[in-house]
Amino acid sequence: MGAEEICCGLKVGQKVPDFEMDIYDPKKGDFGKISLKKLKKAGKWTILFFYPADFTFV
Amino acid sequence: MGAEVITVSTDTQFVHLAWKRDEKLLENVQYPMGADPTGRISRMFGVYDEETGLALRGTFIINPEGVILNSEVNYYNMGRNIDELMRKFKANLHLSKHTDEGCPAKWKDEGDKTLKPSADLVGRVYEALQ
Repeated sequence: MGAEEICCGLKVGQKVPDFEMDIYDPKKGDFGKISLKKLKKAGKWTILFFYPADFTFV
Repeated sequence: MGAEVITVSTDTQFVHLAWKRDEKLLENVQYPMGADPTGRISRMFGVYDEETGLALRGTFIINPEGVILNSEVNYYNMGRNIDELMRKFKANLHLSKHTDEGCPAKWKDEGDKTLKPSADLVGRVYEALQ
């Protein structure tokens, strides 16, 4: 995925470019990756929940 | 709830692990914790704060086709209402199966009245909701 595809400030109604992200998966107790492409392929909805920082008061 | 919820901050996955292990409040949290140390994903969604290097409290619902259907961004000092997130998600699910309907502001759950935009509905929304 080229950096040029990911611009900033996506809006409602726009298609999200496929992306991957490193994760810590509490269910497995291990690290892994999530991929929007794979989630879409599995027919899943995705909810992204951003927050400022770990060890703060979410 | 039928969706993959991913929490994301600009911390690394290693810090996520440490926090999850350390903080009792997170004992029952099972969502994958996304690491965005470069701010790449946060920028993509317009929630990256260049001043602090942190992500604002943004929530985005993306359908299985990859389209963003809802976005909500709060400043640092305000938490989000999970009931409202669930309401939006349920409404999205309903609307994805009933594409000719609309969910009014007070729609809460499956079974509540929806609206079907048509000539008859113009100026008669109040009556339709009774």
